[in-house]
Amino acid sequence: MRLAEGTANAGPVLSVRGLKVAFAVADRHVPVVRGVDFDVYQNEVLCIVGESGSGKSVTSLAVTGLLPETARVEGSITLGGVEVNGAGRDALRRMRGEDVGFVFQDPGTTLNPVLKVGRQITEGQVALSRLRPAEAEGRAVELLRDVDIADPEQRVRQYPHQFSGGMRQRAVIAMAIAGQPKLIIADEPTTALDVTVQAQVLSVLARRQAEMRAAVVLITHDLGVVAQVADRVAVMYGGRIVETGPVEAIFRSPRHPYTRALLRSIPRMDTDEVRLDPIPGQPPMPHALPAGCAFEPRCALGSGRPRCREEEPPLSTVASEQNAACHFVDEAPPAPKVHAMARPKMAEAEAPPLLDVKGLKVHFPIKSSVLQRTTGWVRAVDGVDISVRAGETLSLVGESGCGKTTIGRTVMGLVQATAGDIRFDGQSMVRLGPADKRKARRRMQYIFQDPYSSLNPVLPAEDIVAEPLRIHGLYDEMGGAERVAELFDMVGLSRSMLSRYPSEFSGGQRQRIGIARALILAPRLVILDEPVAALDVSIQAQILNLLQDLQAELGLSYLFIAHNLSVVRHISDRVAVMYLGRIVEQGTRDELYSNPVHPYTQSLLSAAPDPDPAARHSSRRIVLEGEIPSPAAPPSGCVFHPRCFRADARCCAEVPAFRPYPGLATWTACHHAGPLEQNPAALAEVSR
Amino acid sequence: MIGFVLRRLVQLVPVLLIASLGIWAILYAVPGGPVAGLVGENATPEQIAAVTAQYGLDRPVVVQYLDWLRRAAVGDLGVSIYASEPVVDLIGQRLPATLHLAVAATLVALALGIPVGVISAISPGSWIDRALSAWSALALGVPTFWLGILLILWFAVDLRWLPAVSGYVPIWEEPLTAIRNLLLPAITLGVYVSGILARFLRASLVSELRADYVRTARAKGLPERQVVGIHIMRNALLPFITIVGLMMASFIGGAVVTEAVFTYPGLGRLLIQAISTRDYPLIQGCIVVILILYVAINLAVDVLYAYVDPRIDYG
Amino acid sequence: MNRAWNSTLWLLSGLMARPASAAALLFLAAMVIVSLFADLLPIDPFAQRLTDALKGPSAANWFGTDELGRDIFARVIYGARTSLSTAAAAVVIAASVGIPVGLVAGFFGDWRDTVLMRFIDVLLALPAILFAMALIAVLGRSQMAAFIAVGITGIPNFARITRARVLSLRKSDFVTAVEAFGGSSGYNMFRTILPNAWSPILVQVVVLCSVAILLEAALAFLGVGVAPPTPSWGEMLRTGKSYLYEAPYYAVLPGVILTLTILSFDVIGRALASLLEDRHDAGGVQIERTAS
Ligand SMILES: Nc1ncnc2c1ncn2[C@@H]1O[C@H](COP(=O)(O)OP(=O)(O)OP(=O)(O)O)[C@@H](O)[C@H]1O
Ligand code: SF4
Ligand code: SF4
Ligand SMILES: [Mg+2]
Repeated sequence: MRLAEGTANAGPVLSVRGLKVAFAVADRHVPVVRGVDFDVYQNEVLCIVGESGSGKSVTSLAVTGLLPETARVEGSITLGGVEVNGAGRDALRRMRGEDVGFVFQDPGTTLNPVLKVGRQITEGQVALSRLRPAEAEGRAVELLRDVDIADPEQRVRQYPHQFSGGMRQRAVIAMAIAGQPKLIIADEPTTALDVTVQAQVLSVLARRQAEMRAAVVLITHDLGVVAQVADRVAVMYGGRIVETGPVEAIFRSPRHPYTRALLRSIPRMDTDEVRLDPIPGQPPMPHALPAGCAFEPRCALGSGRPRCREEEPPLSTVASEQNAACHFVDEAPPAPKVHAMARPKMAEAEAPPLLDVKGLKVHFPIKSSVLQRTTGWVRAVDGVDISVRAGETLSLVGESGCGKTTIGRTVMGLVQATAGDIRFDGQSMVRLGPADKRKARRRMQYIFQDPYSSLNPVLPAEDIVAEPLRIHGLYDEMGGAERVAELFDMVGLSRSMLSRYPSEFSGGQRQRIGIARALILAPRLVILDEPVAALDVSIQAQILNLLQDLQAELGLSYLFIAHNLSVVRHISDRVAVMYLGRIVEQGTRDELYSNPVHPYTQSLLSAAPDPDPAARHSSRRIVLEGEIPSPAAPPSGCVFHPRCFRADARCCAEVPAFRPYPGLATWTACHHAGPLEQNPAALAEVSR
Repeated sequence: MIGFVLRRLVQLVPVLLIASLGIWAILYAVPGGPVAGLVGENATPEQIAAVTAQYGLDRPVVVQYLDWLRRAAVGDLGVSIYASEPVVDLIGQRLPATLHLAVAATLVALALGIPVGVISAISPGSWIDRALSAWSALALGVPTFWLGILLILWFAVDLRWLPAVSGYVPIWEEPLTAIRNLLLPAITLGVYVSGILARFLRASLVSELRADYVRTARAKGLPERQVVGIHIMRNALLPFITIVGLMMASFIGGAVVTEAVFTYPGLGRLLIQAISTRDYPLIQGCIVVILILYVAINLAVDVLYAYVDPRIDYG
Repeated sequence: MNRAWNSTLWLLSGLMARPASAAALLFLAAMVIVSLFADLLPIDPFAQRLTDALKGPSAANWFGTDELGRDIFARVIYGARTSLSTAAAAVVIAASVGIPVGLVAGFFGDWRDTVLMRFIDVLLALPAILFAMALIAVLGRSQMAAFIAVGITGIPNFARITRARVLSLRKSDFVTAVEAFGGSSGYNMFRTILPNAWSPILVQVVVLCSVAILLEAALAFLGVGVAPPTPSWGEMLRTGKSYLYEAPYYAVLPGVILTLTILSFDVIGRALASLLEDRHDAGGVQIERTAS
């Protein structure tokens, strides 16, 4: 597979030397890429990883001359031996159509909404006269078939809105491979997709790439994806590559302090309870870079050392094929502090749960866009039982659209339940009058996903945090300004920031403000809706640690809503897996992760990319077909049956009951529940 | 689609009811009616009563309204008090003139607005963009009646090329005279609207230029001509259709000022006369017709929109 | 309050930093001052001298004289009063009805939205000028009638712009957050949403000023504006049009001032819109600065 195996004497497909990109902002140039060198060879996958703003996308766009005119690009970029930087418009255009295929992040916006998909796939080739217009449709059908789209003859004539997210991304891949390119650049191609769909898309991409022996540059921030697909890895930080090497080396023996810290800050599916080791501080901003090593302010090894402060370290060889940019690569890093987890003891199961949800249904009317008539119902939540005991964390996991957030919002009283009961601390919440509801809400609070939109931009931080007190008329009673300041301390924000406005905080700091606001009324239950999904991994680790500390300190109960299985494993006591408005499996965390019995849980766990390159050959993956059906028209019987590898006639007709699975502390809703190994017939199909 | 059109037409009914009832109520809420004007200043109370009875104005207001409504439902909008002619006929005489002007002004607006909008959007911030944006501002800022006066001063008074007073001549009868008559009013109205169109088009093009699909189109090697001409234009023209429709609809009754400048016999001026003489049946009739045309044009635009925008399914 | 004051200063300095909007701002400021203190000036818009009727511009009469020998320049200055006061009154009327309507319609989005917006649709379907004329026909010709007529025609714009902004804010998490903490709808609408919605509303205020001035002039031009002899620019154009052959300046010069006034509002409106839009970007820069 790798360059060592036979293509060694062929030159690189893409070679980048001394690439620098600066953007004209106001009247100065802000450097965002500061001297990047890399090569990609035929049939090789180079992954570029880094936190947001590290310059990954800009690098990839520079390679094809797609940057806006405000960008100043220096250095040399050669594609198949031909210089790209400074090439004329027509040469660039030809190169993009013939030699490079591009896959962008958000499949929702990368296709033109008003042109047919088939046309969009082939029009580049037609414009370059590499395909005759008469043959275009036939070729588009072929390409769609190549990316596993069913019924391609019909699909070519459809518009993007008729495609699901995963299908759109596959159409974009079809477009990228239409010209049989030598190089495929994929910028976060699966970030916007669910894990099961991500697995499908990555597998299509890998198969087509192998067929064409194309070189691939894959940009991602997900170390799991890197471990699964990369041959070589380049780690970017502050606009430079700080470490590069073969994927096994990067994961097994990272040499740059940043790479090491990054790997330690991600929660793992396979490790036991250790506290995460976050990287302190925040990534640098391009217009305010530190003078010496860009990582210096956050580096455990170099922090404060004069050489690191003054001199930018060059990228130098540290092992065969492995380079790192650090003055002190040979020094052992300070031993990682392994903290035992401060985990509160689990509440006894006999005590009545703090939150008890029974038979919850939430159906939303579908209104026709033109006349506002109800034409159907979206069954967002369709019969859910969950309970959260005092002091524990129950996580709801599931792919987008499965109803996790709706449950959280309904419990919070923001959405009206259609049926079922929600009891909080013994009191039923569904039929409360407005005044009682307000009172009950004091003890229950909500933390939002997006730290940028959840804070009122026109209020200073202190007023945002104090707002719940004011709304409930408890400002003076609960200690006023002093209470606000205490919460600032508690969530790790400096009191000097009290009067700043939200726009003056970073994403992680804003999330801390959100947490302070949720805690100011001293709640007992906190509903957290994807609280770390919008954050970079190093910041995510900081917030997860904070949440765990606060839980231990204040005895909080968490209803934690997330799609990231490793984060969930890290933080939960118990886990409930959702699919299409229902809970399909629920159990203690350890039971659920080590002995999943529901086919959906099994697929989900197998699709989640493990940040360990060794796992890629050992573990068999279940690649589910299709995508989540619309909750407006759920399948008959077991809603999972169209995608389930164990489905049979009974599954299509009969809804499985949610009941305890014999021998395990797990509840599940499946006619054929059972560990994966027990079912060899099904596995044969899985490894297809 | 047919179902959609029918439902929209049904929705028109309450709008017309509200509007006609509203106008009726307002007109009757205030003292003084058409009779005072008809009978002259030194009329005796008997004369006034006679005239009032003659037009049925002595009946209770509700009865009058219901009576009007019953006839309107079958297309009889009553008889004008002043002109003593059926309202439908009076409107029928003016409507062709109004439609002529509306179409001509729309053509002028499109011919000026589209190039200005497109050219300034292609290179935002350039001197061409600034010059064209200034032109749009001017087109919007110069009041139509003043522009009309300037045009008359120049083309009719000074150069004597075109008439200062524009009568209505059907274009299929005497095309040349019709165009000479329409030219100044159409330019007056069209220039103003071209400013709106150019601004709107520029804004939507500039925002489309930033869309992700544009980068995708470039990434697959399309020439810039196709990126702008096909990918961006198709998206930007969709909302543009709506705006053009709204503008056309507003010409039906809203060209009063232009009609007044050129003493052009359109629907707007008919309504002004009706208002100044308090000719109730005529006021009601004009407004109802204007509303119906407004809704009809909007409906046509919606249908067209659904046809060109694949995302909309009126089902 | 401090923040509001800072924002005002920031907007003013932003406007003064651009040549076009600075010129427009100065022109309008001059118009406002002159029309406020017109009584102190040595001019008289009402003094008739029939012997001097329809005389061209001169040192004594900068803009010439009208058919009654009155000084056109003086009438233009006093006409600014009519125009600007109509604009101000119209903005007050339109905003005080339109903003609450848009707020309620957008916030609740239920039957209240349907009913309110249906009324707004009817208002919109009728061209503003016709609507204003019909109202004046009912109310009689007066300054007050002009205020009300022009003000009512401005309601739909405020309602729609506020509603659109509210609709987009309504879905943002910080509004949901207030709801989650138990804040009432009123608190949410007036304390949370409205303070975040002022920038499009402010732009609309300026836009409506220019529309109102145009509409007032158009009404006067059609002969239904303020009653003579109160000077009004539209009225002057209307009379001037009858003397196109004898005294072309009569219709031309007041039109220049009218056009400049409308253009100035338009320039300021657009500059404000782009300043406020830039501020969003500036906010982004700010994030980066403090994050580093
Ligand atoms: N057109 C532009 N003008 C000005 N600055 C830009 C522009 N495009 C990107 N930048 C800046 O360049 C820096 C690097 O951006 P880039 O998109 O390459 O980051 P990234 O590593 O891809 O991050 P992410 O993970 O968020 O996609 C960022 O600070 C970004 O704000
Ligand atoms: S150069 Fe210094 S600061 Fe930079 S990564 Fe190495 S040790 Fe840390
Ligand atoms: S009930 Fe049937 S279809 Fe549903 S998960 Fe179990 S085996 Fe699959
Ligand atoms: Mg990126």
